[in-house]
Amino acid sequence: MGSVRVALVAGLAVTAAGVGIVLTRAPPLLARSNEANPERELASTPGSADVCQANEVLPAGTSALRLGLEADLGPKLIVEVLSGGRMVTDGERGAGWGAATVTVHVKPLPRTVSDATVCFSFTGEDESVTALGEHTPTNVAATSRVGALPGRVRVEYLQTGRSSWWSLASSVAQRMGLGRAWAGVWIALLVAALAAATGALALWLTVCELT
Amino acid sequence: MSLAQRGRLELSDERASRSRLVAFILGRVPLAALVCALVAALNAIGWSFTTPPFQVTDEPAHFAYVEQLANSGRLPSSGSEEFSPDEQLALRALRSEQVARQPENQPIATAGEQRALERDLASPAGSSRRATGAAGVAASQPPLYYALETIPYELGSAGGVLVQLQLMRLLSALMAGATALFTFLFLRETLPAIPWAWTVGGLSVALAPLLASTSGGVNPDAMLFAVSAAAFYCLARAFRRGLTPRLAAACCVLTAIGLLTKLTFLGLVPGILLALAVLAVREARSSRRVAVRTLVIGLAMVASPLCLYVLVNLISGRSGLGPASAAVESATHSSSPGAEISYVWQLYLPPLPGMHRDFADVSSARDLWFNGLVGQYGWEDTFFPGWVYDLALIPAGVLAALVLRALLVGRAALRRRAVELCTYAVMALGLLVLIGVSSYSTFPAQAAGFAEPRYVLPLLPLMAAAIALAARGAGRRLGPPVGALIVVLFVAYDVFSQLQVVARYYG
Repeated sequence: MGSVRVALVAGLAVTAAGVGIVLTRAPPLLARSNEANPERELASTPGSADVCQANEVLPAGTSALRLGLEADLGPKLIVEVLSGGRMVTDGERGAGWGAATVTVHVKPLPRTVSDATVCFSFTGEDESVTALGEHTPTNVAATSRVGALPGRVRVEYLQTGRSSWWSLASSVAQRMGLGRAWAGVWIALLVAALAAATGALALWLTVCELT
Repeated sequence: MSLAQRGRLELSDERASRSRLVAFILGRVPLAALVCALVAALNAIGWSFTTPPFQVTDEPAHFAYVEQLANSGRLPSSGSEEFSPDEQLALRALRSEQVARQPENQPIATAGEQRALERDLASPAGSSRRATGAAGVAASQPPLYYALETIPYELGSAGGVLVQLQLMRLLSALMAGATALFTFLFLRETLPAIPWAWTVGGLSVALAPLLASTSGGVNPDAMLFAVSAAAFYCLARAFRRGLTPRLAAACCVLTAIGLLTKLTFLGLVPGILLALAVLAVREARSSRRVAVRTLVIGLAMVASPLCLYVLVNLISGRSGLGPASAAVESATHSSSPGAEISYVWQLYLPPLPGMHRDFADVSSARDLWFNGLVGQYGWEDTFFPGWVYDLALIPAGVLAALVLRALLVGRAALRRRAVELCTYAVMALGLLVLIGVSSYSTFPAQAAGFAEPRYVLPLLPLMAAAIALAARGAGRRLGPPVGALIVVLFVAYDVFSQLQVVARYYG
C-alpha cells in the first residue's frame, strides 16, 4: 500500500527536519553564579514558602535561573527579580519537577542588573522542598516571611550559548567516550550506528508488515 | 563402544535435540516478533552506551548487590551505601554522586580526568572486591536478577568495575528484547484479527525510550518487564486456546520467577491468580479432575521457590522474607487506612470532595505520570523542555480518541471477552495500588517516593494493545498508514530522548 510508504516518508521528513532544527540551536551556558556552595540544606519546608535574596547580579542576556531547590515532586514555582523596587524579569516553572536544582526560564535581560533581589515562591501542601546553599551571617542571608534563613540559596544564571550543537558535535563525541570501560570516540559512533540500525530495522519491518 | 564414546554420543544427541527444540520454538515465533525483539535489544544496547556509568536510577546499589552475591555467595545484609572498595572508588572517580540528580553537573570531561580514573581503578583499592554486605536500596529485593547478573560480572572481572558494569548492562538490554518479543506475542493472542497491528504495538514497545533507558542499565526492572510481558502472553494464550497443564505450569513458573525478581511483581499476582481461577473453572466444564489437578500443580509451582527462599532466610537466621521483610512491613503498616486510601487515589486521580489534598498545585496524572512517561531519564533528572510535554498531549489525545473509537466499534467482542479484560484490569489495579501503598510509606518526607513512571512498565503489553487498537481505530483503509505514522512517532521519540540525554551529560 502506497499510503504506508507516504506516511513513513512524511514522518521521517518531519523527524529529520526536527533533528536538524534542534541541532542548529545552542545549548545554554552558565553565565554566572552567586557562588553559594549548594552542599548545605538551609531549610526544608512542607507547604508554601516565599523567599527573597538580595545582592544578586544578573548578567546581560540571562534567560534562565537555576535555583538550589530540591524536591521529590516540586510544586509550581514563581520567580521574580526586582531592582530598585521594580520587577526587571520574571518566570515560572510548572509543578512536577524533581531534582536537586530547578531551572526557571525568565524573560531575557537586555543588560546586566546589579544589586538585584531574586524572589521565589511556591504553594504546596505536604510535599517537602529543601533550599540548598551556603551558611552566611544573617544580614546577607535569604529571607522568608518567617525570618532570615541560615544562609544564601545557590542561584545560577544561564544564557543562550553562541555555539550550535552541530559545531559542538566533535567535543560531545569525545566526552561521550570518557569515563567508560573502553574509552574512545568510537562510543559515540557506536551509539549513532545502533540508533540508525534500530530505526532502519523498525521501518523495514513496518514496510514489510503493513503493506 | 567405550563408555566415554557412548557418553559423548549421548551428549551430542542431547545437544542436537536441544537445538531442534530451540529451532522448533523459534520456527513457531513470527519473524516480525523476532525483529521487534532485535530492535528492542539494539535500542537498549544503544542506551547502555549513551547513559554514563552509574547514572541509571539506583544503579550503584544494584551493582553492589551483584558484587556482594558474586564475591561472598550471600545476600546483602544492609541497606547502607558502604559498598565494596572498588565500587566506591569508581563512584568517586566518576563523580557519580555529584552528577546524579544535579543536572548542572556533568561526568568527567577531560583526558586528564580519564587518566586519573584509569590510575585510580588500577590501584590496589580499585581491584579490592571485599564484600561489605551493603546494597543500598536494592538490599530488600529478591535475588534472581542479581544472580543472573553475576555471570557477566564474573566474565568481566579481569577488566574491573567499568567493564563488569557494561557487560551487566548488555544482559539487561537483552531482557528488553524479551519484553518486546512477549508483548508482540501477547498482541497476537489478544488481537488475532489484525496481524499488522501486532507489529505497530510490538515496535512501539521496542522503541519506547523509558524501556530502553531502564533496560540499558543494571536494574531488576529490566527482567521484571520481560517476566510481566511473558505472564501477560501466557494468560492471553490460555484465554484464547484454553488452560492446558503446560500453559498453567508456564504461568505459575513465570509468577514464581517474577516474585523472585522484584517485589513489585506482587502487584500483578492477584490478577494472575484470578485469571488462573477463572480459566480453571472454564476448563472444569469439560474435565473437573484435570482442571483441579492443573490448578493445584500450578499453585505448588508458584509456592515452591518462595518456600525455598523463606527456608534459606530462616536457616540463615533471618526473618522469613529476609531483607524484604522491612520493605513489606513499612509498605503495609499504616496508622490511618483512610488517609492511605485517599493518598493512593490522589496519586493517580484528582481528589474527591472531602479528601485532604495531598498534592496541592500538582496534577498527579499529568505532572507525575504523563510527563514522566513522556520523558524522564537518568536519575529522573533529565527532562525535555516544558513545551514538549504540552506538545505530547496532542498525539496522546489523538491516540486516546482512536482507542475509544476502536473500543466502540468492537464493543460486541469486548462484551464476549469481559472476564479476560477484567483480569488484566485487576493486574493493572494491583500494580497501581502496590506503587501507591509503597509511596505512602515514605509520605510526606517524599511526596511520591515510589511513584516513578518506570514502575508501571510491567503493564507495557496493555499499553501496546492500546496503541495497536489506536491504529485499528483509524479504520480499515487508514489503519496501516496511521500505524506507520505511530512507528515513526516512536522512532522520533526515541531519537529526541537520546539527544536530550546526550545534551544533559555531554553538552
